[in-house]
Amino acid sequence: MGFRVLIVDDSPAMRSVIRRVILLSGFDLQECLEAGHGADACRLLRERAVDIILTDINMPVMNGEQFLASMRGDESLGAIPVVVISTDATQHRIRQMMDLGARGYVTKPFFPESLRAELERVLGVCHA
Amino acid sequence: MPEPRDAEILFSAAQQVLETMFFTSILGEREAPPEEPTLGARASFHGAPSGTFGLRLSSGAARAMAGNFLGAEEERELTEAQVGEVVCEMTNMICGAVLSQVETESAFEIRLPELQPPGEGAEAGATVRSLDLDNGALTMFLSFDKA
Repeated sequence: MGFRVLIVDDSPAMRSVIRRVILLSGFDLQECLEAGHGADACRLLRERAVDIILTDINMPVMNGEQFLASMRGDESLGAIPVVVISTDATQHRIRQMMDLGARGYVTKPFFPESLRAELERVLGVCHA
Repeated sequence: MPEPRDAEILFSAAQQVLETMFFTSILGEREAPPEEPTLGARASFHGAPSGTFGLRLSSGAARAMAGNFLGAEEERELTEAQVGEVVCEMTNMICGAVLSQVETESAFEIRLPELQPPGEGAEAGATVRSLDLDNGALTMFLSFDKA
């Protein structure tokens, strides 16, 4: 029984890479869904249940900040943990996204192990 | 006036991104951009400071790195659109790595990178760095808006 992950990024190439990196890392993946921006993700989340969301910040239509704010204001979505994946490694941005409700933050570029470690930390996965 | 520190930051940002996500090594400095056909993209960024970052890759390097990035079994399976998309993503990542070193306290916003027609390059006054890679050549340019 693995985890259901939603990847939110406007770049199909980046979504494909994140999916591949998750698989290569050995993370226990059951299903991987994709959305091109925050509004797409909100629509998808009304139809499908996921365990964790990985989101970019700079996206058209609804960016990562707006997406986090929208989730926090929605009772049915607010409990799903969100990990931000971004090129922005400044402390200012990391604090800002965590203040908006993100539970984790991974900076691009990243190694498969660091992405897996952050996913497992946020999901509370323990290895015996 | 190009700053030596900006050239160093360009090098370390490119090294970090290319080795981690594109499985590509930098062999050394190039004196001039490659004369062969190239593929380029640029992105403007806004923050303190604002400016423009861009890059051009030799066609072979762009295709090889797109294959590495996407995990393609055969480079020839890749469409031109996929290669272009990967070049834009590389632009976004190197730009972000550069700005994270330049601006450690304030947030920045990188606009969506766009592919550039052949022949378009650095603006006057930009810091330019050309590198030999194990699969081709890369030229980067960085300029900050005047306050």
